[in-house]
Amino acid sequence: MAAANSERFIVRAEVRAADETVISYGFDLTASSVFVVTEWHAPIGTPVSVRLSFPRILEPNDVVARVADIRVAGEPGEPGGVRLAFDEADVGARLIAQLERASDPPDPAVDRPYRVLLVDDSWLIRDMFAYGTAKFFDRPGALAIDHAEDAEAAWAKLAKSTYDLVIVDYFLPAEDGASLIARLRGDARLARTPIVAISVGGRDAREATISAGADVFVDKPLVFRDLFNTLRVLAERRERSRHSAERKAILVFDDSPFALALTRAALESAGFTVAIAADLSSFERQRVAFDPDLILVDVQMPEAFGDDVASTLRGWHGVQVPILLMSSLDQGELERRAQRAQASGYICKGAGMSELVRRCRELLEASP
Amino acid sequence: MDDLHARFLPQFLELARTRVAAALQAAVARDHLAAPTIARNLHTLAGEAGLLGLHDVVPLARDGEQRARALGGSRTEADAEQLVDTLHRLERVIEHIGETYTPK
Repeated sequence: MAAANSERFIVRAEVRAADETVISYGFDLTASSVFVVTEWHAPIGTPVSVRLSFPRILEPNDVVARVADIRVAGEPGEPGGVRLAFDEADVGARLIAQLERASDPPDPAVDRPYRVLLVDDSWLIRDMFAYGTAKFFDRPGALAIDHAEDAEAAWAKLAKSTYDLVIVDYFLPAEDGASLIARLRGDARLARTPIVAISVGGRDAREATISAGADVFVDKPLVFRDLFNTLRVLAERRERSRHSAERKAILVFDDSPFALALTRAALESAGFTVAIAADLSSFERQRVAFDPDLILVDVQMPEAFGDDVASTLRGWHGVQVPILLMSSLDQGELERRAQRAQASGYICKGAGMSELVRRCRELLEASP
Repeated sequence: MDDLHARFLPQFLELARTRVAAALQAAVARDHLAAPTIARNLHTLAGEAGLLGLHDVVPLARDGEQRARALGGSRTEADAEQLVDTLHRLERVIEHIGETYTPK
């Protein structure tokens, strides 16, 4: 890991000065200082005690610092706050080392990519994460980002899948982010899941989401570099565990959420690492980000036929990994479609999950 | 795989009941415009049932899918009746699976 780039990450910052404690967040963390977004300020040189942490991931670090600079809020993306210079050297490096050493959650969570649920109704933010995942990760498959447009969709996804971190926008349709966070915190199964709240709402949104149980709050526009570096460190920590297990990765594309959930569960229980996609845009993002060893595609979907997808992957993108078509179509038709599309094979859904797992394993073993 | 079956069957039953009820409602009302949606939903249902190894459901769902496609083209009373009949049989099979399922 490139430690020199690893120090710029997001932390929760609790500044204790005089008779008050201000809970906010810090970014641009270096070995010697951190910028803390806050409305609180004091004269330059004022000593403060600051607790830096990432609850549920990074244990609190209490450090002594001094106000080194004050910045008033400027353009969007330039929140106001104070730069705190640490009295002690190498605080940033110490934090990152601590983050890398932090123990992973217990099995079975370690045996898959680091999974993030992004709850935001803005396509811009979702696209930004998709772009960042593909652009900035040395090993893109280390991180898998799933999306939910509103609180109800998020709740449904959280009920079905396990996520390592949840990012929640404050302004959501129908139910706001603080309410969703409070619901998550009230659910015993999700009690250990770190939550990052994001918003353009400034102090009000920060206080509402932190009070509701968010671990860290970050203003929009997001400090993209720092937030992604944080995710990268967390994901790569997970990635090291995954690679040690030498698991093969399978991407499943099906428009049925039920079929996706069932297939994922069966393949994961057989020891594979699995990513899923329910539509074309998600499939394309996952294909680039996840870099699968095998692609499993349903045939009849509203947006596209799976054999057309396979044909495009082979002919246009030059994809070499095994592609397996699956469908409840008649075997003869499925076979013809698989041949025309240059797919590696096909599987009738009626053959059941055991046969599906067997065919995937067979193709992967035959693959170079 | 037995664990997966037990884990996913309740969700399948709920989805299947919803899909078949909606298809029946449209077919009984002779809503011919809904035929493509019925066909697509029954195709999905066949796939999901197949993955779960519910072999009594798959052929009926496929049959319903074909009948819905036929109805979409013909819009005849005879095709509508055949679709309704198939959906009723599918409904009974799903209920039978639900009755014999014992939650763990």
